[in-house]
Amino acid sequence: MNIIQESSPAGVDTLTQSYSDKWEGTQGIEQSSEFLQFMASGDLIFVVLGVSLIIWFILLFYIIKVDRNLSKIEESINSSDEA
Amino acid sequence: MTAVITAGFLIKIPNIPILEESARNLFLHVPMWFTMMVMFTMAFYYSIRFLNSEEMKWDTKAETVTLVGLLFGICGLLTGSLWAKFTWGSWWTFSEPRMNLSALAMMIFVAYFILRTAFNDPVKRAKISAVYNIFGVTTIPFLLYIIPRQLPSLHPGADGNPAFSEITAPELRLIFYPAVIGFIGLAIWLADITQRSKQLKARAAEL
Repeated sequence: MNIIQESSPAGVDTLTQSYSDKWEGTQGIEQSSEFLQFMASGDLIFVVLGVSLIIWFILLFYIIKVDRNLSKIEESINSSDEA
Repeated sequence: MTAVITAGFLIKIPNIPILEESARNLFLHVPMWFTMMVMFTMAFYYSIRFLNSEEMKWDTKAETVTLVGLLFGICGLLTGSLWAKFTWGSWWTFSEPRMNLSALAMMIFVAYFILRTAFNDPVKRAKISAVYNIFGVTTIPFLLYIIPRQLPSLHPGADGNPAFSEITAPELRLIFYPAVIGFIGLAIWLADITQRSKQLKARAAEL
């Protein structure tokens, strides 16, 4: 706590100081599956890719759902016009 | 308005990959929660408007923004879980208060939609779900902001300090704030198209 507050004009890397001993994710990753090894390569950049893909697919799913609803409404309007 | 918001969102995305490593997740994971908060605040407002006026349009609006908010909350939860796997070493840990309480918050709003399906009478459904929504939204600040800050945790923002403080580098902020605004804009746009499709559906039913 004190370390963070004393030395924290924003440029200093206080995050590493205060957290790196607690973040153990990359330790022991060599023994894990190939997929996890791949994800942990390249300075964890694939994690960022994964995160953006999750958001993208969830939002895409939602937009497609709205689109389907709209098609249904179109159909019902068209059929009621014919009738 | 919709076009402006979408364009603003498209422009912001290419700016994001300036910094390296998983710290970039800040632009994606954190705005999810901010957006969810904005959506639920709107749901809170609409629910109160409904209880005041008893006009059904406020009820459908509240339902729409709650749905979009829940969508962003689930995004935040899943991205947080993925991020945790590679920084903390586990997909999910039950000793992490923020993780569990945000999952609990999501469940409160899943329950909102289950509650809505339980009533056939639309006026009754609207009233009870508005009351439930007001209750649900008031729990959110406690679950997501107050309690996690009092408990020890790996998540930034534990032990009484805010998560987003002076320890964040200025060049991160430069992209972070537009990303927040962009995602909130996107959410408002999503809520808007949903709302319009619901109105169309109501009019199509009258034909």
